[in-house]
Amino acid sequence: MAQSLLSWGAFLLYVAACAAAFVYLLTKNARSSRLMLIFIGCGLAAHLLAFGIRLAVFWAYPENRWFLPVNNFFGALSYMSLALVAAFFVIEARKRLGILGAFVLPMAALSLGLAVLRADPAVGPLAPKLRSYWLNIHPMVLMTAYAAFTNAFGVGLALLIQERQIKSRKPSELCYRLPSLDELDALNGMIIAVTLPVLVTGLVMGAVWAYETWGRAWSWDPKETMSLITALLYGEFLWLRYVRGQRGRTPVYVSMLGFACMLATFFGAELSSGRHDFLGGK
Amino acid sequence: MKLVCLSWSHRARAGSAREALASVPVERVLAELKARGICEAAALSTCNRFELYAAGSPDAAPSAGVLIAALEDLAGAALAEQAERREDAAAAAHLFSVAAGLDSLVVGETEILGQVKTGYESAKAAGMTGKRLNVLFQRALFVGKKVRAETAVASGSSSVPSVAVQLAETIFGRLEGKSALILGAGAMAELAAKHLAARGVSQLAVSNRTWERAYQLAARYQGEAVRWENFPAELERADVVIASTGAPAAVLTRAIVENAVRRRGGRSLFMIDIAMPRDIEETVHGIDGVYLYRLEDLEAIVAKNMASRAEAVAAARRIVDAKASEFGAWAGSLSTGRERSFKHSENPA
Repeated sequence: MAQSLLSWGAFLLYVAACAAAFVYLLTKNARSSRLMLIFIGCGLAAHLLAFGIRLAVFWAYPENRWFLPVNNFFGALSYMSLALVAAFFVIEARKRLGILGAFVLPMAALSLGLAVLRADPAVGPLAPKLRSYWLNIHPMVLMTAYAAFTNAFGVGLALLIQERQIKSRKPSELCYRLPSLDELDALNGMIIAVTLPVLVTGLVMGAVWAYETWGRAWSWDPKETMSLITALLYGEFLWLRYVRGQRGRTPVYVSMLGFACMLATFFGAELSSGRHDFLGGK
Repeated sequence: MKLVCLSWSHRARAGSAREALASVPVERVLAELKARGICEAAALSTCNRFELYAAGSPDAAPSAGVLIAALEDLAGAALAEQAERREDAAAAAHLFSVAAGLDSLVVGETEILGQVKTGYESAKAAGMTGKRLNVLFQRALFVGKKVRAETAVASGSSSVPSVAVQLAETIFGRLEGKSALILGAGAMAELAAKHLAARGVSQLAVSNRTWERAYQLAARYQGEAVRWENFPAELERADVVIASTGAPAAVLTRAIVENAVRRRGGRSLFMIDIAMPRDIEETVHGIDGVYLYRLEDLEAIVAKNMASRAEAVAAARRIVDAKASEFGAWAGSLSTGRERSFKHSENPA
């Protein structure tokens, strides 16, 4: 099946891009940085094609027409990994921070890897409750925010490593290869500052959709609660970093806690029996 | 093809020939050689070396004797004895190694790459380059960049001030537009000021117990002198602080620094203490966003760099040798009439 072959191809290309990114990080060999970009480019192309084919198969069901196939784990993970790589392309590769690939790309490979290895790629007709234009907006906005936060997490990891290197007074080669501390700090803060409003918008949209469907905007189901905590933690990060002007590791740890909550929000759907059980395909 | 290289460098025991050549403008050298019927030649003239490269086909090869005679007439001195002569593969390998900084007094320095480029461009402007020297010099520039991109010969600073600057760059990125505060006005403070100014630090403040000396040092580097009582206030503004006063006890206490950090809005603060006894309390290093390095920390980094530089030089040498034999194969193919394709298969970042 072409779609699954292409998805596998994209996954393997992302893994290859990760390998090239690590070689670049360890040797600063310019060739591996170019290889990484080529692998990402080809991976993105294969991935987009796979997504297109999936869309065609999905739309073969007349009731699914115009809805995006993000209603199960395969679709969601695949989309997130696509958005993640695209975000990396736009943010880091353009700012010549390709060296951060070693921190960001493994997450994209992992996400798509989970999809092709563990999730069921089958498509079927959408559950009636999901047949709403909100399906194209609410999860897409949130998953785009997740992809951006994952980028910020990668940048944050590099930031922690760099901060530890400089605090140790015994910086290694790695310290001179990574972008400067202030650059990493600014990038981390910038991504989070831009993404948090997107996340909040996605949550509000969800509340509106819920209100339209069930007449109740918020019902404290586990996914909703976790997503609220995620938003609060990222808000706390922005407050610590930019209002209190705090530097060092504490604000970064807070943002990483936010990332952990985000992961729990996304994968924890199975735990919830309430309104967000559809990722399992129900 | 035939390639001849003559060099007078800092490696020679006697420097008189090099000095005589340094005063001759490259343009005059090229014009003189052209007048003597040499078609392809380029000269590289820096304060540490004078090198002349000439190329031709094997049957119309420039001879070292003709080249030296021309140079001796221009310089008005005997040059032949102190000249290092290289031909063909050895000459190409030498130029690559020069461009890579491996032949420099300070191994790995990057200035030489620009000087090689200038030498090539002058020759080109004088119409003295053909296919042979064009390929040779473009290749040399490529090798120079490749070595610096892929090995650590250029990184890993070998002196305390340059290590300090490099660390500042790992914290702030570019130093242009940053501000520095220098406490003390002695020789070490002056050295620090010089390095920071060279890296584009735009605002330099100097504070010293004796106002006049602070004023004099500040004036030399277009800085601003700050009254000793006022330096804690200046801490709010500075990105880099260098302390080298002769004070008997720490002048920058944790309380002073904490107070300043609170009003800095989360900007990093890089502090260097090169005074003995210390000027800055050690506990300052524990404050978030403050990085305090002492003289011995910087010295330890220098020692480590010197050790790893030896490895980097070996790696650079391998690149130079590989590229020189590639060039040799191409140069050999010119005479057979079947020229090998020779492209920059890879570009350094």
